[in-house]
Amino acid sequence: MDYKAVIIGGSAGSFQVVTKIIASLPSNYPLPVILCLHRLKHVRSGFVEALSIKSQMPIVEPNDKDAIKTGKIYLAPANYHLYVELGNKFSLSTEDSVNHSRPSIDLSFFSAAYNYKKKLVGIILSGANKDGALGLKSVKDSGGLTIVQDPNECQVPTMTLASMNATNVDHVFSTKRIVDFLLSLA
Amino acid sequence: MNNLGIVDTKKIIATINDSYGLNLADYSLTTLRRRFSHLMGFFSISLVDDFVQQISRNNIGYQELLDELMIDSTELFRDPSLWRELREKYFPEIGKTVGSKIWLPGITSGDELFSLMVSLKETELIDKIRVVASCPSNRRVVKIKEGGAYDLKKMEIGEANYTRLSGKFEFSKYYELKGNKAFLDNSLVKNVEFDNFNISQVMPNKNYRMIIFRNIMIQYNLPLYEKVIRRLVDSLTIGGYLVLGNKETLDHSEVGKKMQLVNETEKIYRKRID
Repeated sequence: MDYKAVIIGGSAGSFQVVTKIIASLPSNYPLPVILCLHRLKHVRSGFVEALSIKSQMPIVEPNDKDAIKTGKIYLAPANYHLYVELGNKFSLSTEDSVNHSRPSIDLSFFSAAYNYKKKLVGIILSGANKDGALGLKSVKDSGGLTIVQDPNECQVPTMTLASMNATNVDHVFSTKRIVDFLLSLA
Repeated sequence: MNNLGIVDTKKIIATINDSYGLNLADYSLTTLRRRFSHLMGFFSISLVDDFVQQISRNNIGYQELLDELMIDSTELFRDPSLWRELREKYFPEIGKTVGSKIWLPGITSGDELFSLMVSLKETELIDKIRVVASCPSNRRVVKIKEGGAYDLKKMEIGEANYTRLSGKFEFSKYYELKGNKAFLDNSLVKNVEFDNFNISQVMPNKNYRMIIFRNIMIQYNLPLYEKVIRRLVDSLTIGGYLVLGNKETLDHSEVGKKMQLVNETEKIYRKRID
């Protein structure tokens, strides 16, 4: 299957997992990786820097209307929702918080699912609320591939369990198997 | 929620244009799909065809539609570091010229306006700098002039932002509680010049020293973004400033080359002397 993008959502307990995943991806990884992680909305700086320490791919917080390119990791910026638009571009939104979150994982996943359809891999990691569950369902309903981190491995399994309740996910993987799977797409 | 297809979305856009003369064709699709879903929920309509019929029969008032369509979720003093920068560096510079004007095009709430007016008051520039605020909805203007009628939760966010900015006073001095709402001191906006000018449709006035236009163009597609940036640039004096949201850029615009990025973190641009 030719995928066009990978989108990853996570919250409490996901930082180390995300760090492990992105550290394993080579600098020439052939897909854009979109990260929507819950974060303090008034802290704008520091997150990209922290994630970048071990990453071989450049990590950026996209500006509104930036093109989505392969070989990059995109992090949803603080206090904005991040959408994927037709024409393979990002857009940002200051609409109300969803599930107490801005960025909201559900909203990023909805827009990515709508635009990439079956050519999207959606992954939900550790987290303490249900944001992301409906998003992952929309990936599944649009024909994309859905993965959740094994709840037994999650520091906080609420988000992954909610996702598994919301839809029939394709894979429940440990962090290591998530990495292996992503590398198999390269 | 959020399952409107493109065909349905375009049908609604066309109907709104036919019925109200409001052209939404140049707005970003994801945002419109979400706003239309929101509107249908708000008016308790579940079928797109019913929604279209309600609009074309004028069963939904224009002001009501406009109000619910607009995104109204900024914050007082959103990005405190920007407001600190503005009040320490930019407002004093602008205030040196008698009759300087600052323009806020396209506000939908009092958030940006009250943040500006509190800042001008605390820098003792409120009587020196003229402020023009454009808001497409008359209802919203009335609400702003009454002090905003803020939900307490929203006021808490504003208060926290103000504290981060280390404002000069306790923020509570700027508002009072009536029932379950907070009203900002409306004497702050008594000299503000309000209009319901729509920058996407009409050519604006000129000679503004600063335009604060944050997180509005994120709702536009590229052609409308380009057109509006041209008007914004035209409206500024040479050396005038354009303040955008911190994740907005003029990089995607041709006419944006007339502007120089003078503060990258806060996205403050300055019109070049050419």
